[in-house]
Amino acid sequence: MEPNEICYLTIGGAAEALRRGEFSGVELTQALLQRIQTIDSKLHCFITLTADLALQQAQEADKALRSGNDRGPLHGIPVALKDLYATRGIRTTCHSAVLENCVPDYDATAVTKLRQAGTILLGKLGMHEFAFGGPSTDAPFPAVRNPWNTEHIPGGSSSGSGAALAAGFCYGALGSDTGGSIRTPSSRCGIVGIKPTYGRVSRYGVVPLSWSLDHAGPMARNVEDCAILLQAIAGYDGRDPASADVAVPDFRSELKTGIEGLRVGVPRAHWFEEKLGIDPETEKVFNAALEVLKKLGASIIEIDGRPFALARKANQTILICEAYAYHERTFQKTPMKFGTSVRRRVLEGAFLSAADYIAAQRARTALSAQICENFTRVDVFAVPGAPRPPEAFARLDPNEQNLRPNFTNPFNLTGLPAISVPCGFTPGNLPAGLQIAAPPYGECTCFRVAYAYEQATAWHDQRPAL
Amino acid sequence: MDEIASEMLRRMAQQAGLDLNDGELQRLLPAVNRAKKQAAELRDLIAASDEPAAAFMASNTRRN
Repeated sequence: MEPNEICYLTIGGAAEALRRGEFSGVELTQALLQRIQTIDSKLHCFITLTADLALQQAQEADKALRSGNDRGPLHGIPVALKDLYATRGIRTTCHSAVLENCVPDYDATAVTKLRQAGTILLGKLGMHEFAFGGPSTDAPFPAVRNPWNTEHIPGGSSSGSGAALAAGFCYGALGSDTGGSIRTPSSRCGIVGIKPTYGRVSRYGVVPLSWSLDHAGPMARNVEDCAILLQAIAGYDGRDPASADVAVPDFRSELKTGIEGLRVGVPRAHWFEEKLGIDPETEKVFNAALEVLKKLGASIIEIDGRPFALARKANQTILICEAYAYHERTFQKTPMKFGTSVRRRVLEGAFLSAADYIAAQRARTALSAQICENFTRVDVFAVPGAPRPPEAFARLDPNEQNLRPNFTNPFNLTGLPAISVPCGFTPGNLPAGLQIAAPPYGECTCFRVAYAYEQATAWHDQRPAL
Repeated sequence: MDEIASEMLRRMAQQAGLDLNDGELQRLLPAVNRAKKQAAELRDLIAASDEPAAAFMASNTRRN
């Protein structure tokens, strides 16, 4: 097998090949490190490459497999982490000068779980500074670029996770999502990412942006790989006050059961046309994806998009208040350590009142109820992963996120699970995603619908020319 | 709701312990007014019985 083919294997494919002895974990890791060292100067996915650690972990994984100590589907699989997951002894920067030399003395729970599952850590990935604002041009590390066209942004804030997967640098990655930060880069890089239900995956050791909206979750190149990764990191954790003490199902159990009879709600009216509205080419790609779902046996039901559109106001208010509260001391003492983009956004929170914040949390109660009432007549919601193709760096508008409908943040406000799966390309050959959201703890449903769509199309097999 | 003017924003920043220069305050002003307007509009969505979504739990006493 050619080295580049090895780099684009699925997790399932790599795991089988390891067990068949086609190659070792060390060879797998070396192939990825070689690709990263050759190509990442164009993309800037990695802030910290842990090559020596990865090779050491790969040797240990090989040895364990040879001795019959098989830890399961992630044993010997190289992964990478958004650089806001605390990693013991490894720099964790949040892509910021504020934490440029921060080396935690503990691991985030999700990191511990991935290690226990036998994964190999390739390194820490670039992101939007503190998971907010936009791509930073004045941070100590360069902004991540989109593998499909390096003149364009990869979407964020888990930009390095999305770009690294699309570029064939790792088999899985972790991201975090407060308003769309897993699903947006997944959509814009042509990969799969799921924001699980709030409380499903521990946030312990994930540097907060907004405690009540932050979600940790996996990203991968296909739906099944994403389910395998979520299986490893999900579960109750007493160190996360928001962790849900609910049973973790087998996320692959429903994958192949199809979507015949599924009722898909599309909250188009009063939402898709909000402000400048959805980009027409993106809507065309989305509508074509709905046709595929129909052919697979689903029915499409148009529903009222108003509460989804209003969710933006509550989400943004809560987010900037909580983000400012977290960073307040640093803003008072060393404000210039923050980059321009995150400084401008977070500072808005300094000028809102306690009553504003409480109003947003009360509106969250009201809007969550209105949105979830729809589940009496539909099984899932379908919306685009992003309202338009990724912008070019040269034409970035810091206010862009307020100009078009936000298709991701209602699911942070409500805490509902939502997945983005590749669903085509807009005319500039930039990827677009189909987003599926389900009732609380309905990740199996998200995976089932996304898998059915994925198997009926070939978008997830496309590779950027690098 | 009245918009916040430059001078008021400067005073609010000082009260918050923030040392922001004129340029930064000017860049922030429209964004702050947009955020205040957005937060004000949220009041129209709330019924008297709606409690905040973030709730205290007496049983949760752990600190990390």
